[in-house]
Amino acid sequence: MNDVLVGRALAKRFGQTVALGGVDLTVRAGEAVAIMGPSGSGKSTLLHCLAGIMKPDEGEVHLLGHRIDTMGERKRSALRRTRFGFVFQFGQLLPELPAEENVALPLMLNGTPRAQAVRQAREWFGPLGLRSMESRRPGELSGGQAQRVAIARALVSRPAVVFADEPTGALDQQTGQETMRLLVEATKHNGASLIVVTHDLNVAAWCDRTVEVRDGQLLVTGVRA
Amino acid sequence: MNLELTWRLLKGGGRRGMLGTWLTLGAVAVATALLLFAVAANFAFEARAERGAWRNPVPAASEAGKGTAGNEAGAAGDAVAIEASRYDFVRDQAITVIDLAALKGKTPAPPPGLPRFPAPGEVWLSPALAALAKELPAAELAGRYPDPEGVLGDEALVHPGELVAVVGHAPDSPAMTAKRSQDWIVGKPPVKVASLAGAPSEDAEAYQVLSVIASVLMVVPLLVFGGAAARLTVARRDQRLAALRLIGATPGQVVAMTVAEAVIVALAGALTGAIAFALAVPLLAGIEMQGGPWFVADLFPGPLVLAGVLVAVPLLVGLSAVAGLRRVVVSPLGVAKRETPPAMRFVRVIALLAALAAFPMMTRGTSVAIIAVALALAFLCINLAGPWVVGMIGRITAASARGPARLLAGRRLVDDPRSAWRTVSGVALTGFVAGFLGLLSPAAFETEVSGPPQLRVTAPAGQAAQVADQARERLREAGVTATVKPVKDVVGAAIRDSDAAALDRARTAMSGLVPGRTPTTELDDQRFGVQILADVRVGTIVVLSVSFLVAIAGSAITATSSILDRRQTYGLLRLAGTPLEVLDRARRAETLIPLTVMGGGAILTGAFCALPFMFGAVNVVGVATLAGCVVVGFGGVIAAGALSRPLLRSVTADPAPRPD
Repeated sequence: MNDVLVGRALAKRFGQTVALGGVDLTVRAGEAVAIMGPSGSGKSTLLHCLAGIMKPDEGEVHLLGHRIDTMGERKRSALRRTRFGFVFQFGQLLPELPAEENVALPLMLNGTPRAQAVRQAREWFGPLGLRSMESRRPGELSGGQAQRVAIARALVSRPAVVFADEPTGALDQQTGQETMRLLVEATKHNGASLIVVTHDLNVAAWCDRTVEVRDGQLLVTGVRA
Repeated sequence: MNLELTWRLLKGGGRRGMLGTWLTLGAVAVATALLLFAVAANFAFEARAERGAWRNPVPAASEAGKGTAGNEAGAAGDAVAIEASRYDFVRDQAITVIDLAALKGKTPAPPPGLPRFPAPGEVWLSPALAALAKELPAAELAGRYPDPEGVLGDEALVHPGELVAVVGHAPDSPAMTAKRSQDWIVGKPPVKVASLAGAPSEDAEAYQVLSVIASVLMVVPLLVFGGAAARLTVARRDQRLAALRLIGATPGQVVAMTVAEAVIVALAGALTGAIAFALAVPLLAGIEMQGGPWFVADLFPGPLVLAGVLVAVPLLVGLSAVAGLRRVVVSPLGVAKRETPPAMRFVRVIALLAALAAFPMMTRGTSVAIIAVALALAFLCINLAGPWVVGMIGRITAASARGPARLLAGRRLVDDPRSAWRTVSGVALTGFVAGFLGLLSPAAFETEVSGPPQLRVTAPAGQAAQVADQARERLREAGVTATVKPVKDVVGAAIRDSDAAALDRARTAMSGLVPGRTPTTELDDQRFGVQILADVRVGTIVVLSVSFLVAIAGSAITATSSILDRRQTYGLLRLAGTPLEVLDRARRAETLIPLTVMGGGAILTGAFCALPFMFGAVNVVGVATLAGCVVVGFGGVIAAGALSRPLLRSVTADPAPRPD
């Protein structure tokens, strides 16, 4: 498999706290990687550095062979919009927009005409089990449904990598499992890679590989049998 | 217990929480200061009316109904004096001249501001008139009021700097017995009075009514603004209070905590506003009305009024906070679950249409009280219909949006039209005021006067030729070149030199030519109309300034609180790559689209309400003022929104602050 996202010797400090102390991580095309670790271990910092949300103090990040950590904020912002997708624990959907417009928003931000963006967005509702939910607002969806809308939004732009930060953190066990299944399947079906930050072994089990971050260091690497 | 917890939560709100608290405090302070101004203006006009009352004689009961001007009811008691008033002029200012005579055998009490009742021949001048008499050559002014006995106290004056002369006469002097004009504009004919208490004049009462209307126009946006400030407190706290409900706090406890927090902040804001108002009073006293500035003391409301405002403002803020919390109180999930809001009822628009339907039925003869009530109703109904119209604008904007910014703006307007209305309501309500007053300015008072100035005085019947001869002689002796001609009973003296000094020399020379009558020019006769016009303009500008201050401050507060409320969503959108410009454009569109529609609509509504009261053609100055208002209003709101951009940048700059 080809390397899609490569992080080399990534280091990040917050004042006296070392969040990352020289971490290497490579994610291949179509691969699902779980980043695990206790609270404060640096797993979210690693995700943010890989996603171009924050610049590492040291080290390099490459996307499809292009170095991205040296880019300016505007370019990194455009990259996040076009090449990456994001799923968070909660609060990511705009409460004022109906579900289909929430999904269509990244396409519209990239210049796709509204009608076409909404049409493309609707195509995701069936496969994700959201049929007839298109015009509902986030407040009218259950937690699991809202996360599936967020998955559709993350994938609608056909990104190279999807980043998910505790995507099932606000869901019950059963709904969380179902959400993870849909996230992994949909991501792989689109040929995208997936990086999931979680502290839940059940969530990590859906991924091809698990890495563990502890005190800013990558300690253990496990591959699913 | 609740109070202690409230205080700890208030203090522990963090930097952004405290920012919200300061914003609320600032908003309440601005609202209180402006409210005090709106209230104090009424008391100030009342104080002026009362101080000027002694110059508006009320005939003694025994004299009432004898065909004299003044109140026909009559004042109790026997007549003790004769009082008359007239207007003289110097340069471009009016002098109020009060002629007084004690009846034989009577010792009337002195008028306010005088140590004793003036004896025949005595002259008392106001400080400003005395100073002017010293400054100008005697032939131009002092000759008319020779050897003044002293100066009048402030209690005799309507405003500082007023030109007033009190002249004592014998009761049988021609000045007190000669027939005078019945036109109240040129003064009051001699009246036998029981005292010099008098009564507020018709024009003073008209000014009081106008100040009530101006206050209504200012107070309604202030109340809306105060409500917005209160809801700002709730908007920041609702999640936390919902959490308290979830852990078992009773609705009563939540309400009590909300009221306590809102009232604590509002009380601090109200006190700050009162201090700010007190500091601003010397500046406000400089606003000229009725020909002059104000006594500073007039603009200070009494302790009861001040206490009333300081109690009422926190109370209103507390009530608004409770109203804003209804959803939390009803259900602990009320805040967390955001559902499609129910559409607002069309009855709001019907109420506005019903209020507006009353205006075409009115005329310039309609009672001012009825107009004031109709205006207040229209004003309140605009506020009622505003959110409905904003919701409709949101639906249209969202349906027609092609880009994400307009789509976001439209959906947000539909989601919370009340909040969007609060942002634009100030300018919309101001637009209504501007539309109403812009057309209303009575430009008809101004007429063109050409040629050299001509002093005219009405001679007693059959004595025009004799008076004309005397005028020629007096003017010649004063060194004024003039052509004097009698036309019927009016003697006109056309002054060759058109400079102000020559005219004032001629006035002085002709002073007392006809007892009880003052020679005046055409411009002098128009001066009262011009004064009213100037006062209406000043009043309009004051009302609009207050409204705009409220509107702009309201916009800044709403824009800031909107960012604070949505900081999580904004942060995550930025994190996912949404450009800051798109978020900013959406925010701008969210304000500007309803502002354009509502502001324009309100101006047209105001103009529609003013149509029945218009004087002839459209007033160019009024329309220019209106255009200026629109530009300033839009500019102010855009600037107020732009001020919050750094905050938007700040809340979205670091979307991932966790070191995890």
